[in-house]
Amino acid sequence: MTLSNAYSVLFVSALSVLCVLIIACFIRAVKGPSIADRIVAINMIGTQVIIMVGVVALMLKEGYLVDVSLLYAMISFLAVVVLCKVYMGVFLERQAKMRKEENSRA
Amino acid sequence: MLDWLRFALSSALLVSGLLILITSVIGVYKFDYVLNRMHAAAMGDTLGILFCLLGLTVSAPDIWTALKLLLIITFLWFSSPVSSHLIARLEVTINPAWPQLPGNPERPVEEDA
Repeated sequence: MTLSNAYSVLFVSALSVLCVLIIACFIRAVKGPSIADRIVAINMIGTQVIIMVGVVALMLKEGYLVDVSLLYAMISFLAVVVLCKVYMGVFLERQAKMRKEENSRA
Repeated sequence: MLDWLRFALSSALLVSGLLILITSVIGVYKFDYVLNRMHAAAMGDTLGILFCLLGLTVSAPDIWTALKLLLIITFLWFSSPVSSHLIARLEVTINPAWPQLPGNPERPVEEDA
């Protein structure tokens, strides 16, 4: 068994484990009862995709794919921040509207 | 011989990182509330990615790839606590049952029947 053979076995098995984990996280994101559950699952999927892209970069010996991984980390962080802000804004707006209706009724 | 040693170190780190990720996914399924689940998810976000990317760094072909992988670890270690904080604040704001949950210091004291 040569060294490159051993590396390819390691990388392919790591990729298949990560595939299973991403599917499990996706099921969690679909099932999750609250919004925060879904955002946590999406964040975990982002982390696992970062590792996957890194593994693929080393498997294909293409160094520039690591840049893709770095950009993916930044964009998934941005996605979490934006989703939290949007849901918080929607909730506060709805609450303000309900308060205004109660005040006008009273 | 030295190459095989590098492979052994890299595979050990990668496998332990994957084990931590598997543990965190199992934890996300086992716990039954978001703030408990977030603990398990944060473990995979920090320790899991540290071990996996260190394993990849050991077997990186050149120095720039290794430095970029270390940059990803640094970035995630800064960004993961921030996103956890935002998610926790969202949950505390949105969930109407939050003041009644056990473990909250501001929980109203139950009167004896």
